[in-house]
Order: sequence, then C-alpha cells, then structure tokens
Amino acid sequence: MISAVSHSLASALPRVEVRISALHGDSQEQQWLRAVGFFEGQSICVLRRAPFGGPLHVRVGSGGEFAVDMKVAAHIEIDPSPQTESA
Amino acid sequence: MTTETSTTLSDKPAKSAPEAALVALVGRPNAGKSSLYNRVTGGDGRVGNFPGITVDILETNVELGASHKKARLVDLPGLYSFDAAHDEATDEGVAKAFLLREEATGKPFAVLQVVDATQLALSLRLTKELLGSMSRVGLLLTQSDVLDREGRRCDPSVIAKATGVDVIMVSARDVASREAVLALAQCVLDAPARDKSRAPTFDPEALAQLAVTDKATVEDRERRRREFTRRVDRWLLHPALGPLLFVATMVVLFGAVFLIAEPASSVMDSATGWLGSVLSPRLGGGYFASFVTDGLIGGAGTVLGFLPQIVVLTIAMELLDASGYLARGVFLVDRLLRVFGLGGKALVPLLTAHACAVPAIRATRILRDPRERLVALLVLPLMTCSARLPTYSLLISTFLSHRGAFFQSAVFIALFAAGVISGAIASAVLRRTVVRGKPLPLVLEMPAYRAPEPSFMRKATMRGIRGFLTDVGTTIVIASSVLWLLLNVPMPGATTDPSLKDAPAAVVRVNQSVAASVGRAMEPVTRIAGFDWRINVGLIASFGARELMVGTLGVIHGLEDVENDPTSLREQLRGAKTADGKPRYSTATALSLMTFFIFACQCMSTVAALRRETRSWRWPLFVLAYTYAVAFAAAALVYNIA
Repeated sequence: MISAVSHSLASALPRVEVRISALHGDSQEQQWLRAVGFFEGQSICVLRRAPFGGPLHVRVGSGGEFAVDMKVAAHIEIDPSPQTESA
Repeated sequence: MTTETSTTLSDKPAKSAPEAALVALVGRPNAGKSSLYNRVTGGDGRVGNFPGITVDILETNVELGASHKKARLVDLPGLYSFDAAHDEATDEGVAKAFLLREEATGKPFAVLQVVDATQLALSLRLTKELLGSMSRVGLLLTQSDVLDREGRRCDPSVIAKATGVDVIMVSARDVASREAVLALAQCVLDAPARDKSRAPTFDPEALAQLAVTDKATVEDRERRRREFTRRVDRWLLHPALGPLLFVATMVVLFGAVFLIAEPASSVMDSATGWLGSVLSPRLGGGYFASFVTDGLIGGAGTVLGFLPQIVVLTIAMELLDASGYLARGVFLVDRLLRVFGLGGKALVPLLTAHACAVPAIRATRILRDPRERLVALLVLPLMTCSARLPTYSLLISTFLSHRGAFFQSAVFIALFAAGVISGAIASAVLRRTVVRGKPLPLVLEMPAYRAPEPSFMRKATMRGIRGFLTDVGTTIVIASSVLWLLLNVPMPGATTDPSLKDAPAAVVRVNQSVAASVGRAMEPVTRIAGFDWRINVGLIASFGARELMVGTLGVIHGLEDVENDPTSLREQLRGAKTADGKPRYSTATALSLMTFFIFACQCMSTVAALRRETRSWRWPLFVLAYTYAVAFAAAALVYNIA
C-alpha cells in the first residue's frame, strides 16, 4: 500500500482545477472513493483548506462539493499540470 | 407506465398485514431521498422494527392504486455504492444488508432508486450495481428543477431505454409527486421480476451525457443561488471567523439546552408535587400512595422534564443539518475534534452533554461512522452535566469555604476540565481497545445552502418526542419505581436507631430501608474512598438523578427541604462526628466524593438513553462498569492522598 504520493490532492494549489490521475490506499477505499465521485480522469479543484491542518474543501467535475480529510487527499494522485484557474 | 392510478396513505396506524409488499427508497446521500419520502408520507414515518438493524429506518404503511394494495414504504440510509459497501456497521452497510435480506425472502419487494439528475453519472453507477442484485427496480429522477435552472434538461426515456426499468421525473416540492411515486411502486411490483444474471451493459458516464442535454441559457435564479452559497461560504468558512462563528452557534445551542433544563425540571417538580399532594390523600396515604406519587409520578415527571431539551435539540439538529451548515461546521472543527479520536460532528453531542447527557446521546445520531458514534456514546456520561452542580456546590461550600472564593472557583473549573480530559483519555483508550477498527475516511458532501421545511421539522420533532417517551421514558419510570422501593421498603429485621425516636417518618424510613442496609453492607469496601453508609445511600438515590444526592443526604441527617435551605445540611455535615468523636467527614471526603461524581455514570436516564441508542443492554452495562470502576479507584486514590 502506498501511504502518500508525490503529486497528491493534499498538495494541490487552491483554486486550480486539476485532474485525478490515480487512486491509492486499500482497494475497498479506492472502490468507495470512485463511487462517491473521485475517479480517474475526473477534474477536481481545491476551494479552500480548513484551519489547523484540517480537511480540504473541494469541488469535483460532476458538480458536487466535499470536505475531504488530508489522509484521504494524500491517496488521490493528481496530474499536476493545471486545467484551468477556477473562480 | 401510467401515473393515473389513485393512491392514498393509509389512515390506519402502523401494523401492516403480513402479505403487504415492501418498497424501499434508496439513493446517494443528499440525492433528495428523505425529502421525497417526507413528501410521500407527509412526514409521518415511524421508526420501523427490523430485526438486526441498529439504525433508525423510517417506515410508513401506504396503499397503492385503486386496488388498495397494501405496502410498507421504507427510507433506507444513503448509499454511494452497493458493491463498495463492505462494512456492515456503517449506514451504507446497513442499507445493503437490508436490500439483500429482503430480496432473498422472495416476498413482494421493490427498490425505488432516487436519482439526483444533477449528478446523473454517479447515480447511474449505483443503478448499474442495483440492477445486478435486485429483481424489481424503478428510478425516480429528482432535482430536475435545479438542472433546468442550470440550463440543462434530462430525458427520462433515454435512461429507461438503456436500463430497461421504469423511470419518472419527480420533485419533492411538488404535491403531485406522492401519487407518481406510489404509482411507480405499484408498476414495479406488478412487473415480472428481472433476470439478475443478465448484467446491465450501459456505461453510466456515456448514458448521462446522452440523457442530459444543454439548453441555451442558465437561469438567473440558479446563478444567484450558486453565488449566494459561494458568498456565504466566504464568511462562514473563513479560516479565522468561520470556526468562531460555528463554536458560537454551538454555544448558543448549549446555552438553550442548559437554560431550559433548570426551569423545565422545576416546573415538572412543581407539577408532580401538586399531583402527588392531590392524589396521596385519595390513595389513603402510606406506602402505596408514596409509591404512586414519588415512584411512578416522580419518574414520569423526570421523563417530562427532559422533553423541552429534546425539542430544542431536535429542532436545532434539523436546522443545522437541513440548511447545510452542519457540514460546514464539521469542515471547520474536524481537526480539533481528532484530539478526542472523534470527528467534527461530535462537537454537537460533546457540548450538549455539558448541559445534559440525555439529549446529547440523541445528538450522536448525526455521526456517520458507527465506531465513532459508539465511542461518543461511551464517553458522553463523563462530561460535567448540570445535574452534578448541586452536589459540587454543596461539597465545595461545606468543606472548602475556608479556602476563599478564588480557590473554590478554581476547583469548579477543574471539575469541568476533568470531565473533558477524562473524556479525551477514555476516547483514546476505547478506540484502541473495545471499539477497534479503521475509522471511516472523512469525505463529506457540502450541499448548497437551503431553507429547511418547517412542516417536516415539526414532524421530525414529534417523532423525536414519541420515541423518547416510549423508549427512554419507560425505562426511567421502571428505574424510578425500583429506586423508590430500595429507599422506602424496610429491610426485613431492620431495627430503629434509638436516636431517631423523634425523627420525621421519612428519616426513619430511609434509615431502615433496603438501600440503607445495602449502604451499610458496602461500607467496609467504600471506606477506602471515605464513604460511609450514609454517602452510599445518597449515591444509590442519586442514581435516579445526580441532584437527588443533596436531598437524600439531608433526609438521612434528619433534615427536610435542604434544596431550599442548604445551610443546615452544610452545618450538619461539618459538625457530624463518629462514635470516637472525630469529624465524620473531611475535606478529603469531599474531594473523594467529587472525584467519584466526575467519572461515575450516576444517572438512570443516561442509561436508558444509551440503551435506546445502542438497542441493547450491553453498552449501557459496559458504561456503568467502566465508569464506576474508574470512579471508585480515583476516589480512593484522592481520599488517601488528600
């Protein structure tokens, strides 16, 4: 199991739309994340970070917004090249 | 399919005929499932009794169509994925297990999936999974009005053709949706069962793209709605202001529960006192009258005294959750609550528990992770509730008055802090021992802000009151009656203490009671913590409610009405001497007793509420065992050090 990846959602810049390139962590977690809407190829944008190192507020391409724990975000690998600047 | 069939809600209450079909509403969290369920049932759902199911599943009896075919409509917990729901303890696992079990019975069973048209591809993934396991499925497309305002349109016939199941568009805001949903249920039930072995072949993403087409314009209203959420989030999720606003909201909620607790109990005390004084002479006085007025009516008064708190909390929870603000609060304080091994949502029950554990225990229903919820339930009794305050106040003013106001205040604050710290430690220990298991990852949907529907909130509150009265109330009245027996029925062979020759009847009764005998029998052990039999009896009585400790100590010491005049009890406790002339109680006794109160789950109402929420006696008994063991060990330690 890979606990963290070099270009993960946890390190994504705020308000920059990127694309999910892979999921890590155990297979059940991956399966669940895909069902929620975090799957490969999906665009995603970090809107803000919670204080005290708390979760990320993200918007996914399907339109939903989520609070995502940093541990989970570390398992979501992203393509670091930005898609667009988000408003 | 047709939607012309007439459908009516059954006027008859609940008990359904054995042949009634079952219709389950399923869907992703926030797909609009519960709103639709409320629309169909008018918010009149009741908690269903399903063997092996430990979360509340609402059900309502309905009649489908002109044939008046009976059915039970159930609202299952939100489900992101059927195949990925591996953990049976989670809400998703419960929903999956429910569906599989009902499917296996072979009885008439239909699954209606609520599909959020604004997130069609994700919902169709769930559809595909359901079609692989369920033989009768129908789809209810919701949020089409939102889609419309976003400048898009969804064509249900495209989805129906690709999936091979009936699909209708509905809106929870539209009254006519009730008819449509029930008609679809009838249609699905009447249709021949699908062949589950034929796996559906449609691609959810491709189908969603095909079914949803863009319109030319996006309506201003939708743009404004999105902009509103964005603008409000800028303030409510501000890194500095956001947490302050959320904690302030929680403090207001805590204040409301706290402030309402005292007057509510007083009103109930007065009401039950008045009722007792009216009934007692008519029942001929004596033991039976006392049992009815103090045991039964007293217990009922305790139950009713909690109702205002339950109402305030239920309304607040509904408001926070339905408006979308609770999810924001979780986002803001989640990291801080991780110190407790709990998530952000746990702030609501933890704070409420400082007013009263009973509503706080109910508030744990908002916790999605079943292990996190169980840990919260197990540590909530450690928080310093308002019922501990009279005992703390009496002991501090009696034995620490010579230390000055500053020291007394510091002790008071330390007692509150001890509750929080012991909760944090207990939580950490429990997560590593009794409640082991991987915590659920925090991936929480943050919905757009919306105004809650007052009628649904009213129905939810009524449901909360009904559930509390029937489940928690019964246990409290039984426990209250048992405590009355212990404190009033004389122990066979008990003799009257000659010093109590002229004492009031109530004083003599307590001194001869079963509780007094138990207290005396326990004294050799409890002496280690400085507790004599009188304190032991006080502890037995205060299991009914912690605040009864003061009154019971007063009665044992030959005093009445000490709640209104505690000075005489303070003097009695200070001046009490043992047979060899030494002071019976000391500062060490007071500190020991306060330590005991920090940890011990001295509250039958808390135990009853725990039983209600965990649906078993196992966890309430565990709480009693661990809190009493820790309480006695800590009290003994403090007594011997002080």
